[in-house]
Order: sequence, then structure tokens, then C-alpha cells
Amino acid sequence: MLNTGVKNELIQIVGTGRYLDRPEELACYSYDAFVEEALPDAVIFPETTAEVSEILKTASRYKTPVTGRGAGTSVCGAPIPVRHGIVLCFSKMDKIIEVNTRDRYVIVQPGVINADIQKALLPFGFFYPPDPGSMNSSTIGGNIAQNAGGPRCLKYGVTVDYVLGLEVVLASGDIIRFGSRNIKDVTGYKLSSLFCGSEGTLGIITEAILKVLPKPEAVKTLMVTFNNLDNTAKAVTDIIGSGILPAAMELMDKLTLNAIEDTANLGLDRNAEGTLLIEIDGVKEACDKEMEKIIEKVRKNGAVYIQEAGSEIEREKLWTARRSAYGVFAKLAPDIISEDVTVPVSKVPEMTRRIIEITNRYGLRVGVLAHAGDGNMHPMVPADKSNKEEWQRVEKAFAEIFKAAADLGGTLSGEHGIGLAKSAYLPLVMNQATIDFMKKIKQAVDPVGILNPGKFV
Amino acid sequence: MKEKILQNCGKCGLCLNACPVYKQLKEESASPRAKLQLIKAYDQHTLASSPFLKEIISKCMMCGSCSAACPSGIDHYSKFMEMRRKMVEAHGETPAIKSLIYLLAREYRTRFGVGIARAGQKIMPKVLAEKFKLGNIPLKNFPELNAVPFRKAHDEIIVPKGKPVGRVIYFTGCATNYLYDDTGSATIGILRHMGYEVIIPKDQTCCSIPLLFHGAKEKAMGNIRTNIKALEKLDADAILVDCSTCGEALKNEYPRLFESHDKNLAAAQKIAPQVTDILSFISLHFDLLQFDPKITEKVSLTYHAPCHTKNTLQSRGIAEKLLQTLPTVTYKQTPDFDQCCGGGGTFFYEYPEVSKKMVDKKIESAKALQVTHWLTDCPVCRMNLAGNTEKSDGLTVLHPVALIYAALKQI
Repeated sequence: MLNTGVKNELIQIVGTGRYLDRPEELACYSYDAFVEEALPDAVIFPETTAEVSEILKTASRYKTPVTGRGAGTSVCGAPIPVRHGIVLCFSKMDKIIEVNTRDRYVIVQPGVINADIQKALLPFGFFYPPDPGSMNSSTIGGNIAQNAGGPRCLKYGVTVDYVLGLEVVLASGDIIRFGSRNIKDVTGYKLSSLFCGSEGTLGIITEAILKVLPKPEAVKTLMVTFNNLDNTAKAVTDIIGSGILPAAMELMDKLTLNAIEDTANLGLDRNAEGTLLIEIDGVKEACDKEMEKIIEKVRKNGAVYIQEAGSEIEREKLWTARRSAYGVFAKLAPDIISEDVTVPVSKVPEMTRRIIEITNRYGLRVGVLAHAGDGNMHPMVPADKSNKEEWQRVEKAFAEIFKAAADLGGTLSGEHGIGLAKSAYLPLVMNQATIDFMKKIKQAVDPVGILNPGKFV
Repeated sequence: MKEKILQNCGKCGLCLNACPVYKQLKEESASPRAKLQLIKAYDQHTLASSPFLKEIISKCMMCGSCSAACPSGIDHYSKFMEMRRKMVEAHGETPAIKSLIYLLAREYRTRFGVGIARAGQKIMPKVLAEKFKLGNIPLKNFPELNAVPFRKAHDEIIVPKGKPVGRVIYFTGCATNYLYDDTGSATIGILRHMGYEVIIPKDQTCCSIPLLFHGAKEKAMGNIRTNIKALEKLDADAILVDCSTCGEALKNEYPRLFESHDKNLAAAQKIAPQVTDILSFISLHFDLLQFDPKITEKVSLTYHAPCHTKNTLQSRGIAEKLLQTLPTVTYKQTPDFDQCCGGGGTFFYEYPEVSKKMVDKKIESAKALQVTHWLTDCPVCRMNLAGNTEKSDGLTVLHPVALIYAALKQI
């Protein structure tokens, strides 16, 4: 519990209705989709930028930690309040302020759900490309803070590529605004890059201007199966190497595919060692041409079965099934660790082999899932955290997986962020001077260290 | 490779956007994920039992949308039901809910209670009815109770019109028996028209779902045994329900209770596969319907899909298709036709503010279609939708069978 002084000041700002601190409520804000948990002392639902500013001023004065939260769907522990204090939850600050497809932008509050932006754009024939697996629940504030990606980011890029401007409240309570409604804007530092992926450690996002795109004229979705995972990965490298850029290219191994099929009953081939879900979009004629080329490449790599999604409903079913991949693993064990190490796409076959070799060596089950076209691997290990011996093996295996990715010129995270999950491994991909540089930035904007303390910086 | 499904929540959060209560309140405690976390904490003794915990657990429609969306295959329904029972045991129930349970637990009490209520409805001064609300519904908008309970007004065996094709059992549920006899009359009318002999077992009673939702498991078991006894001895082509919640009880809940609670309920497993909702049954035998060629003017209507129809009865999409095929109907669909209306059993009574917001949204989109009829196959949805629309909205809320029956040729 916060001391009465802070509590009263905070209630002054938002009223009693948007200030929660009963134990039953606090328990609901102690987790996200990661395996750790920590209780906050209070949960506050701001509705305006001015309120956020007042809250941060108070928190700074009392040195109370503040952790931002949207829908709590992070898989790396970013919104878990490990140093307790305040959870600032944006689920109720959820207005779409402007939809302007003529100038190709939308302006939204941080609590707007990603899928609701898509819905608002649909009648205009536009879309917002970043599509994290959690897009039906996760908020745009969290998407920006984590610099979220998703399957179609292979072609379209991740969140940072779509943030035109932000309004951010700093730890001091100062409100800053940068960027603009313009697609081209090179005025000063590109501060949106700084805040995308800052995971709530530098400031609290209170409004965002996002770039949107017209929906492509045609979409084609292809399901290809292989009887060998190595060939599956090689096909990916081959397709990308040939100059085709699909919107998405998802790789699933046998364990993943079966876990999905148990839930979705789509009639997927349970015996396939590797499956690719490939989507291309664009002008119809170009799609047809690319499709031909892709089919040629997968055949050359020993594809067993090739099937095109016949209808929009069928296509949607395939993607819903793919998006459920994280959840379906919960059926296999009490806990699940899903990481998102990323390697250059030509290294996908090698990285796949290493993931399997490492997990086998530690006696663990692994599901290999990947946004393979951009080298973003998702090794998923179902395990039991309460089994200390097994959990140690899990930790050791992931340490080796991170190291393997770094050795192949890869990186720790392609789209989830660092959070609690990977902060210890930063030195694998950054030298000390770089880590110090991030610390200096943090110190400069949040000298007391109230913003999401205990995380990677 | 198929493994045993564990009941583990991966906390992925996909249920948040499926949950009608979360979408309204936007607070984690309203979400299915949070309820599972709280149940876990309670079971592991890291969170103490409290009246507030009971409130959080019961702030739920029991609509099943979370289970339908859950990639981890969690049976939220049973988990919530069990937790509700524990909470009621520890903290009691409000007097209003207690009396509802008392009435529903014995058929004669229900009849008696309804009789008194009917007398009350008659003598209630108009000013009171205008002014007061029960939950989110103004008293004046409550349906009038049936003059005679439906099952009392009808014989146990009703012969078909025209050429006989078979025999069905009709489980009427409490709503048709006491509130909406128009649904019952239309159901019988359609079935006779199709050539079915209709059996309405006299011994049937409340399906018990309201009791189970409020933790009264032992009382519920009494009703369930009565119903199984009434249904198991009969031989028929199908057991029909006009209420999707009764359907859910007979089809899913009774066999579940047999597994978990009472091994003497084996007949539940025999009954379950025979249970069908009336709209699915009509769709299946659509060729037995003869429409009245003299009806030339089409009725414009829209449909509200009840949660239990779409999530637990697995008859998603059937009502919409059926209504579209009716020759006497112009069917229009709202974008939110399958979103929860906020009725949720007694939810509208317990959490009127949340419920009101939900139903108002639905009414707005139904009004925008400029139709005259709004159909739904759940009596609580019907009560909630009708209770919150005003005369000036120009929407008559009915069970789909009413319009189907009206479209048939007299034979």
C-alpha cells in the first residue's frame, strides 16, 4: 500500500473510482503473459494527458515507481511492476481521435486496441500494418512501448516504421510532443525511434499519430508442407533470396502444428515435419507471378503438399489458428517460455538446427515457430516452473539459444522486447559503451528512476 | 501426437476481447484471465476469501465466450461455477437471489411465486410501474406473466396435423411456461404443421442453470434428477428446447455433472445427444414447411444471437441462415448481432449499469436498420432487449418461432 500522503494526492487527481488498491484488484495487475509476477501498490486509470502529468509529478516527488500497462499481453514481463508502486493502466484512455486516410494517418489515445484501429480503417480501404499475435486485445500504447511486430512486418516493417508522432509525459510531468502528421519529417532527432521499444522506461505515451496504408488489391495465402524441417527452412531462405518479398512467411514445426490442430481442427497435416504459411499481397497480376515463383521454389526444396486458401473465411481461419500458437502451448505444460531471437534470414536453417540441438541436449521439448521470412524465430518451450531442476535446464538452454543467435549475427529480440526476460543477455549483442549510453539517456530523462524500474536499463 | 489437455492458462489475454464484461468495464478484474488467476490464488491460499472476491467472480455473464476464444482449451464454465459455489458458501447470497433459488428449486413453489407475482402485476399502481426498475429494466416494460402456465394449458400429448412423420419431446423451460407462452404456442404449431407428435412431459422442471450459476448445487441436483427421470423414459426423435440456456444444461451440463458429481446420472449421457434447439431442428427439416402463398408483404427483421446459442450449443449461424431463407421475411443484420446484450441470467439485475450500457449499444444498431421486428431465441435476452426498448423505437421483440409460425400455410 502506498502511504496515505501519496494515496490522497493521487485520488485527488483521478477520484476514487479510478484508483484501485484492494488486494483482489492488485492481484489482477501482477502479471502479463510472461512467467513472473509482482504486485503493485496501486492501479490508476488515467483518462487525460493532464492527469498523467499530475500523477507523474506526484510520483516523482514521492519517488514512487510507475509502470505503464495496456492490456497486459506482453510476453517478456515489461508491464510487471517488479519494484511495486503504481501501475498506470491505459485501458480506459481509449479514444480514436482522428481517422484521416486522405493524409494517411490516424491519431489515437494509448488505450486503443490494435484491432479497433483496423476496424476503423476498414471502411476506407486502409489498414495499420503491425499485427502482433495479441492484436485483438493489445493496446497501441503497449505496441509502441514494446515496438511490436507480427507476421506481416516481414514486408511492412514493425511499429517504429509507422509512428509519425507522439505525445509523451516525462517523469517530471513535463509533456513533450514530437513528429507530426507528415510522412516526411526530419525535423530534429527522430525521437519516436527512442520511445519505440523504450518499454515505459523513458516516458509515458499519451497520444500517437500513426501512418496507415491502403489495403492491397489482392491477397493470396498458401500452405506448404515438408517432410523435413531443414528443407522447410531452406525454402524460406531460397524464396527471400530470389528477391520475392511476401507479406508474411510463417514456419511451424510438427509439435507446434499439432498443438494448433488440437484446438483449431482445420485439417492440417499432422505428419508434416515442417509447414510454411505464406502470404503475398499487392497488385493481382504481380501476386500471380510471385505465387508461381514461390511454388517453384518450395517444390525444389521438396514440398510434399501445396494448398491455396480458397476463401477469405478460410484465410482468416488459418491466421486465427496461427495467432493462437502461443496460447495452445499452455495445454502442454503449466508454463511456457516463448522467445523471439532473430537472425539474418540466410541463417534460418542453421538457427533452426541449433535450437533443436540445444533443447534436445537439455532434454526439453521445443516447438519451433518463426516469422521465418525475417529470421524472427520463436522457440517455445513448455515446462513446469515449479520443477526447479527442469527450470534450470530451461534457463540454460535459452542462454545457449541467445548465444547461438548472437554468434550468427542475430539479435535478442525481434518483436517482443527485453522486459524481464532478456535483460541479463544484453551484453551478448551490445558492448558496455552502448549499454552505458542507454543508461545515460535514462538518467537524463528520469534521474530518480521512477519509470518502470528493475527492467533492462 | 495428441496429449492430455491441461487446464493451464498461459495468460495470453486473447479472452479479454472476447469477454463482454471486460470490453465494457476495461478493468482486468472483469476478465476471464483475471478470474482464473484469482481462483488459483484463492486455491493456493495466497488470496483470502472475501465478499469483494465473490463480487468479482460473479461479475460474469457465464456466456461462454471466453472458452470459445481460448486457445488453451480451458473450461472456464466449470471453474467459475465451482468458485461461485464456494463463494456463496462462504459469503451467502443476496435476499433477492436467495428467493429466486428457493422458488426455482421446486416446481410448485415456482408456480406459487408466479401466481403471487401475477396478482401483484395486476394490482400494482401504474405510478409505481412507471417509476421503478428491476435491475436495468423499468417495471412497466416487464413481460406480463402467462394467464395460465403453458404446460397446464396444454395436454401432455399433442397430435400432429396432416401426415405424421415422427414424435418429439418438448422441454419448455420456465420462461415459456410462465412468461412467454407465445413462444410455446408457435413451437407446437410449427411441429404439428411439420407432422410431429409433441410430448410435453408434465414432470419437467427448471433446468437448474440459474441455481448452478448462483452456487446452489445441491438444490440444482434435485431438479436435474427430476428432469432426467422425466426425459429418459420417453422414446422420441429429438428432445427440443426453445431456450438456448436450457439446451446448454441438458446437452452439456448434465453429462458434466454425471462425470464429476453423481454417477447415478448415467441417463444424462443418453439424453444429451438427442437435445436440439428448435431452430436447428426446423432448419434440418425445412422441407416439411409449407409457407402461406397468400402472404405477400414481407416483415423486416433483425436477429440477436444469444451467447449460449453461439458459444455452447454449437448452433452458431443457424438462426441467421434460417431467417434468410424464409419467403415472408426481409432479413437485415447489425454489425454487432452476435455481441452480448448484457442480460446474462440475473446479470442485468445485479449489475444494471454495466448491463444498461451494453443493451443500449445493441438497441442503437438495431434501430439504425429500420426494421419492425427483433428476434432472439433466449428468453433473458428477449426480456432485456424488450425491456429496454421504448414504444417509439418501433421494435417488437419475439422468439424467431413466432414469425416462422405466422408464415405457415394453414393445414
